[in-house]
Amino acid sequence: MIEREEYQQYIKKNSPKSPMVRTLVAAFIVGGVICCIGEAIGDVLKVIFKAMTEKDVAIWESCIMIFLGSLLTALGLYDKIGHFAGAGSIVPITGFANSIVSPAMEFNREGVFFGVCAKMFVIAGPIIVFGTVASFLVGLIGWFTTL
Amino acid sequence: MRTIFFKKPIYVKSGFTIVGPKEADGNFGDCFDVCLKDDLWCEKSYEKCESKMHRDAITGAICKAGLKKQDIDFMLAGDLINECAPTALAARNFPTAFFGLYNACSTFTEAVLLGSCLIDGGFAQNVTCSTSSHYSSAERQYRYPLELGNQRPPTAQWTVTGAGCTVLSSEKPVLANFQVYEDDIIAIDKNLNIDEKTLEKYKKSIEKQKKVINLGKSNINSANFDKTNNDYGNNPKYYVKIVTGTVGKVVDLGIDDESNMGAAMAPAAFETLTTFFEDTKTSPNDYDGIFTGDLGRFGKQTLEYLMQKEGITMPKYYLDCGASYYEPEQKTFQGGSGAGCVNTAFNGYILKNLQQGKYKKIIVLATGALLNKDTPLQKETIPGIAHLFSIETEEP
Repeated sequence: MIEREEYQQYIKKNSPKSPMVRTLVAAFIVGGVICCIGEAIGDVLKVIFKAMTEKDVAIWESCIMIFLGSLLTALGLYDKIGHFAGAGSIVPITGFANSIVSPAMEFNREGVFFGVCAKMFVIAGPIIVFGTVASFLVGLIGWFTTL
Repeated sequence: MRTIFFKKPIYVKSGFTIVGPKEADGNFGDCFDVCLKDDLWCEKSYEKCESKMHRDAITGAICKAGLKKQDIDFMLAGDLINECAPTALAARNFPTAFFGLYNACSTFTEAVLLGSCLIDGGFAQNVTCSTSSHYSSAERQYRYPLELGNQRPPTAQWTVTGAGCTVLSSEKPVLANFQVYEDDIIAIDKNLNIDEKTLEKYKKSIEKQKKVINLGKSNINSANFDKTNNDYGNNPKYYVKIVTGTVGKVVDLGIDDESNMGAAMAPAAFETLTTFFEDTKTSPNDYDGIFTGDLGRFGKQTLEYLMQKEGITMPKYYLDCGASYYEPEQKTFQGGSGAGCVNTAFNGYILKNLQQGKYKKIIVLATGALLNKDTPLQKETIPGIAHLFSIETEEP
């Protein structure tokens, strides 16, 4: 029988690989389009609500994008975009919404408490933890530097 | 010796399959007994649907063999979900001794081997060997939620939504198809003691369930019309019997990528296959059909490479059920996998062709990757296993 090392090398060399050019181009275009939509929403908000501050516009913009991401997930469209775009639709905030809504939908059958509420953060949990820890550390550094 | 030579003839009395819509559009699409239009079949969860498919596949196979539930001595069954829950839920509908089995995707050949041993040892006359898998229930257990927008790697395989059952018997089967009607498989269990109101509810739900069956693709009959869809509905011309089997060893060559199961399983397939050829003193050319379970396109290529290195060339007609299961445009990458893959391919395509005399002497080998969701996270590598049985046909 083939040696362990040799077999692993054969598999590494011969396994089918992702088509780099196609996936990168798809991710670039779709990711770019999602960000453009976000920017456009921001611009429209600025025109409609003239009194709104820059900070408020950014918050509302994120909220609308999260809503759109969740809506497309619920309609069963976001996973199709994801199959095509990969990281292009995972990295923007709409992807984050998708990563919370999709397990919530999936585990709906196990009930509200131990299904939806408990399993909602299965995918997004690590992102939230790292986000919180990072913001705490940055806050700590900021606090020390301004002392 | 790991190869078992059965002393008594073990006849395959019947096989029955139920598959989902994607499978019905695949390469084996026209030889399944029941094809569904959706993969929930009026149930509230995919696990419940899988359980129902499993139950009805067993019922269908028993009907097709011309037997009754009471004639079955042992049931050997398994699936991929934790603790074999869908199988256990299906088995509660039968008054039969039950073995729950798990060997990942090779559970079917394991069941057939053990069933043959029971019959050969004189402990049973009729046994059922069944397995099931469901894409959506497997996906949520092993991978990600269905609606998550991630990309599947090019080495990924698609779990087959399907259930199948084979009835093995020490008796020669009758060379005629017992007609199976949709009422036979979706029926109210007569053992249930239920009141009038619930009975009405059941009847309504049965009407709904019948509508989900895609009769145009299926090979069963409906109350409204009798039909045999194609050649696969013809009466069998040959007796099919299991003659030998090789029990697999767990082989691990250190593959740790859970999305590349073909690579993890190919060494086990190689090991079992070479042991079988050595023990029976045969070569691939002595068989007119060699079928492996669900190695996938890359796994198949790897097995051919490993065999080539030992100086054994795999014949052109060697077929991997997983790799051939779907059409390329169905975008499953490496093809089908799961406990239902080799099972539905065997009971649907291979068995019917054996009965019609297209194949005379074949090998069926199913492979399994023995992992759960946590072992790769604990930095374990993926062991593989492969069980094999060989079949011959007998002229009447």
